[in-house]
Amino acid sequence: MLKIPKRLRVVDDLRLEIDWEDLVVSSISIQRLRNACPCASCREKSLEPPNPLRVLTSSEMVPLRIIKMEPIGHYAYKITWSDGHDSGIYSIEFLRSL
Amino acid sequence: MSSIQNLPKMDLPKIKRIIAVASGKGGVGKSTVSTNLAMALHFSGKKVGLLDADIYGPSIPLMLGIKGEVNQATTQLPLNLNGLLVMSMGFLVPKNKAIIWRGPMVHRALTQFLTQLDWGDLDYLVIDLPPGTGDAQLTLTQSVPLTAAVIVTTPQEVSLIDARKGLEMFREVNVPVLGIIENMSYFVGDDGKKYLPFKSGGGGLLARECSVPLLGEIPIDPKIAECGDDGIPIRARHPDSAVSTRFSEISNRIVEELDSSPMMPALPTLEMT
Repeated sequence: MLKIPKRLRVVDDLRLEIDWEDLVVSSISIQRLRNACPCASCREKSLEPPNPLRVLTSSEMVPLRIIKMEPIGHYAYKITWSDGHDSGIYSIEFLRSL
Repeated sequence: MSSIQNLPKMDLPKIKRIIAVASGKGGVGKSTVSTNLAMALHFSGKKVGLLDADIYGPSIPLMLGIKGEVNQATTQLPLNLNGLLVMSMGFLVPKNKAIIWRGPMVHRALTQFLTQLDWGDLDYLVIDLPPGTGDAQLTLTQSVPLTAAVIVTTPQEVSLIDARKGLEMFREVNVPVLGIIENMSYFVGDDGKKYLPFKSGGGGLLARECSVPLLGEIPIDPKIAECGDDGIPIRARHPDSAVSTRFSEISNRIVEELDSSPMMPALPTLEMT
């Protein structure tokens, strides 16, 4: 049975806290949330071998923030990040698993 | 960034309940079911709208006797057919013109139908979905506050395999499935015997398998096709027929089901602290 979130808050721009209907509380670091972005391009990137000599982009030099987190239907959220990325649709089930 | 994801979420406060009619497979009678269901709700005194979300193959206009394009300069859309409000892509393009669009255009059309037309205050909006689990379904489940879905199937396995997928899609997006409507369940011959041309019990089997109710079984009746082609749904032309009775029973059941279960609350929005 799908558990539904009752409250979501970003605390100090560092973590997302979710209060679930069954009284469970999830605390997910912002970086982990972004690393788990389920969009096609992020999933693709996560499959590439790590490049130790990769140069950080300017947007990676500043800490990421959540700008918006909008409900999608009854089943998911779309997160808009401070670097403009907004194509990840996080299903409630996926958020619960993080 | 895809344009689908950046179009706004629809807020439809004047529509109390939105019911999607889906199947997975084509040709099982979704449009017939949607039209007659909308009619049955309308005849029970509700304010009802019917949206044909099958952009590529709209059949609702024919079933309601609207032949060809509607002149938008003289006729307001959605069409008001004795109190039943109806919108379809078929009202906007010539009958034989193919709509050759990619997904974002389908999304835009559906969004415009829902947000830019004056539907007024509705008790129910019935949405006739195209077959499959593609763009139209995704648009509606992601941006429309759907109240519930019903799944139409015929009894045989070849229909059930797709109906299962349709049902599963609604489950994945957390839209309650009110139940299964089995169409073309049987026909009664001139000899009074019941015949089962597409096997029997498939709808019930799927309902049990997925733990949802079987909302009803619609028999085959040549009058259904005749009425559809003539543009007068069977529920309107032959209100006392067995098929019309089934549709009324199903619509009553849907109303009861929706009245007795609490509306699903919207997901909470994010707080920044």
